[in-house]
Amino acid sequence: MSAARAWSLGAAGALLLPLLHQDPYHLDVLTTVWLYSLLALGLNIIVGWAGLLHLGYAAFFAIGAYTYALLSVKLGCPFWLGIAPAMAAAALGAALVGTTALRVRGDYLAIVTLGFGEIVRISVTNLGPWTGGPNGVLGIGHPRLWTPHGVFDFGVASLPYYYLALAALLLVAGVCWRLERSRVARAWMAVREDEMVAACVGIPVPQMKLLAQACGGALAGLAGAIFAAKQGTVTPDSFDFVLSVMVLAMVVLGGRGSIRGAIVGALLLGALPELLRGANQYRMLIFGLCMVLMMRWRPQGFFGTRHGRTA
Amino acid sequence: MPRKKISDCHRLFFLLLLLVGGCGPSEPVVKIGFVAPLTGDQAPQGEDMLHGAQLAMEHAQAEGAAVPGYRLELLALDDQRNPTQAVAAAKRLVADRDVVAVVGHLNSSCTMPASAIYHEAGLLHVNPVSSNPQLSRQGFKNFFRACATDDLQGPAAAVFAQQALRAQRVFLLDDMTTYGRGLADEFEKKWRALGGDVLGHEGVTQGDKDFAPLLTKLKPLSPDLIFFAGMFPEGALLIKQKAEVGLPGFFMGGDGLFDPALINLATPQAAERVYVTNIGTDIRQLPSAQAFVQAYEARFGPIGAYSAYAYEATRIAVWALRTAGVKDRAAVLAAMQQFKDFPGLFGLQNFDARGDSLIRDIGIFTVKDGAFQFVTASSH
Amino acid sequence: MTGTQLFLQQLANGLTLGAIYALIALGYTMIYGVIQLINFAHGEVFMVGSYLALTLMLALTALVPWPVALLGALLGAMLGCSVLGWGIERWAYRPIRQAPRLNALITAIGLSFVLQNAIMLLYGPTDRQFPNPVPLVRWEIGGVTVTLMQVLVWGVAAALMCGLQWLVMGTKLGMAMRATAQDLKICRLLGIPVHRLIGVTFALGSALAAVGGTLFGMTYGTINFHDGYVVGLKAFTAAVLGGIGNIPGAMVGGVLLGLLEGFGAGYLSSQWKNVFAFVVLVLLLLGKPTGLLGERVADRA
Repeated sequence: MSAARAWSLGAAGALLLPLLHQDPYHLDVLTTVWLYSLLALGLNIIVGWAGLLHLGYAAFFAIGAYTYALLSVKLGCPFWLGIAPAMAAAALGAALVGTTALRVRGDYLAIVTLGFGEIVRISVTNLGPWTGGPNGVLGIGHPRLWTPHGVFDFGVASLPYYYLALAALLLVAGVCWRLERSRVARAWMAVREDEMVAACVGIPVPQMKLLAQACGGALAGLAGAIFAAKQGTVTPDSFDFVLSVMVLAMVVLGGRGSIRGAIVGALLLGALPELLRGANQYRMLIFGLCMVLMMRWRPQGFFGTRHGRTA
Repeated sequence: MPRKKISDCHRLFFLLLLLVGGCGPSEPVVKIGFVAPLTGDQAPQGEDMLHGAQLAMEHAQAEGAAVPGYRLELLALDDQRNPTQAVAAAKRLVADRDVVAVVGHLNSSCTMPASAIYHEAGLLHVNPVSSNPQLSRQGFKNFFRACATDDLQGPAAAVFAQQALRAQRVFLLDDMTTYGRGLADEFEKKWRALGGDVLGHEGVTQGDKDFAPLLTKLKPLSPDLIFFAGMFPEGALLIKQKAEVGLPGFFMGGDGLFDPALINLATPQAAERVYVTNIGTDIRQLPSAQAFVQAYEARFGPIGAYSAYAYEATRIAVWALRTAGVKDRAAVLAAMQQFKDFPGLFGLQNFDARGDSLIRDIGIFTVKDGAFQFVTASSH
Repeated sequence: MTGTQLFLQQLANGLTLGAIYALIALGYTMIYGVIQLINFAHGEVFMVGSYLALTLMLALTALVPWPVALLGALLGAMLGCSVLGWGIERWAYRPIRQAPRLNALITAIGLSFVLQNAIMLLYGPTDRQFPNPVPLVRWEIGGVTVTLMQVLVWGVAAALMCGLQWLVMGTKLGMAMRATAQDLKICRLLGIPVHRLIGVTFALGSALAAVGGTLFGMTYGTINFHDGYVVGLKAFTAAVLGGIGNIPGAMVGGVLLGLLEGFGAGYLSSQWKNVFAFVVLVLLLLGKPTGLLGERVADRA
């Protein structure tokens, strides 16, 4: 089966699924999976393409979610106008981390980004007057659409968010697909493979690194805004280190640098705990075992390329 | 790479997903939804609540069908004390047309976002134990709460500490959660209003073990009282390390500490004379609750701090359903209009305009000889 | 209590936590030093060690006097964790040694889930009380209180670190380890049993984590299946702070992080102490990108 056919089949299946199966709980789980996919695509730019290890990615998701949440609650900003500031704020945050992190590399970069992730989360918890502290932000506006039949409010139903998240995902996947074939992405990959050589052939290495961080951050911001609108509330504990690590796991499991890999990784890690619900307390144990075994059987991930550097 | 295989996997996965929630009920049922943490570190408290709810359902079933022709069922879901999971569970209950009322959520941080979903669906929501005052300040007409709130609990603790313990200078600690910070803030407000000194108010991280530096810092301040709003694992360590650091003064906490494990973990010597408030009076002191206590302990073992509230909330939900007499969310919610003088475990139960219980007793307990002992109940 | 006394008391508090961090950080750093792998499951090994020690301690205190029970629990936990660490290397990491390095991270996360949940299923999700048989002896030295337990923690940690330093710098095994760290392939060509050596490294690091787990349980009195995550993350941070792969660096990093947290909670605010610790970490790494004592930079993701 050609890649294009697989893509369109997958997209069509995802679009048609709610017609066949309307259980809102499952739709909600899948909506979360689409948001994870957005995050995985964003992190894939940083880790998969530019080769920068990042362990604090949840921070940008948080920045996006809180930016829209606060704009909505304090200024009454509609969802559609809140997306751009959320993405911009997250991108800015990511670039800021990126700037300070230019000096450190490899595993040290991992710990610096981890540190930033924790700093953002704890600060959000402690800055009560601005962020609502541990209560988070409540009463965030739901998206509305103006149709010929009047205003359609997304409310708390599952279906509108399913399509909202899916639309965002398809759009972003499309953009990533174009991006992958661009000069920019090739420059990133050159940086990933060998910084020295990349610099020698005239690639502005620091700028490319920052651009990758900012792009990845912006996608997290987008996912964050949708998440905030869907939840109606945001609380700091939704953005912990475990989330950063899980998104990274999605990227690696799917195959680093692969767009469909990121989506399949998110699908697997996002839906597996739900599929294992029948196993009750053994659920997370089996989940962990699956991760270990998958790495043994398919070390390059589902869609990873074999010719990449093994280091 | 065998691409075909993967897309097959893809399809298989969706098929599986379809199968998981596919089957519908064969005989007519009407359900009460129940949500609490049933896995994870708060699972024991969630289990206590589930047992209470189960017992309430059994008692209700024994009294005959609530809605003629329908079997009454409890649909128990797990929120893992995670707000995101709580929202997912809430959406699942809202979507299940058989569910006509929800008893739910332990943590205020879970009840908060979930309550908005029940509200928009017009589903009766009886909350058993989340004590954050904000929950009933959202103007949700479908929200009712079976326990006392932290704006009663905090002030009651403050009044008791100033009057009975003669404390003047307090240092406040909370666990930086919706519950902990909310309770500590209520305590602080009242304490200042009563003219007491607040030496400081800091947060501790859940899961932390080492509080020695924090407590050492308090030594030169020598507060009369340390008030901690949080859960018992951190509370126990604070009590234990307070003794080790050699810090004098009283230690007091909220209902999150009202668990026998607190005494065990803190060691009975260190826990002696610790004061704890609870969102209701001592269940064992109430004649109206004796039958429940016996039935519960015969069935599930020692009663938990939250079991009775889950029982009470479930009974109230069933009462509304029985009064409505039809399987209809709007009718069940409307039935709550007639709710008056319900003979509950804690006496005659009534709700105010916000949906908060008018039984506003705050039980105050102390640790004596390694066990909680009832001191007094303050009512408002 | 004067300012100086308070400072010294907080120093003692921070040193205790720091010594435990250092013991766990050593495991991270030893493994990293030999095969450039961040064993994120190491924190869980520490947690398993504390539960093993708990079980043994409960079984032994009734039978023998406390020093013997303590020693038995400690040695038993060390042995159990060594086997666990060796097993993890043998069955989870060795098969993927040729795979990209990030894979090991996923394996580690999976292992963490497995170990955490296994312990949760075996011992229950709530905190367990950890018996401390060491009698509560306090010394007042110039207004500063030091307990026997604290001295024990410092002593054991210092002794083990010195022992490890001797092992790595002064024995044939250590020489082989250092050689492997330099170039694994050449070592194999020279006939050094590289696989066995890596297994031994894992076992040694895990044994140190078990000691950390036992001392941790005794010092703070309660243990939980979450501890591996919370403390493991801090210990990993400590290892990086000191320069990952460098053994004295892990000790310095652990003690420094313990002190940072102690002084952060003691002088600033306990709710900001982790932010304080991480801000110092980030600033330090920006000034010295390879940690305090580290030299090598692994430029790989």
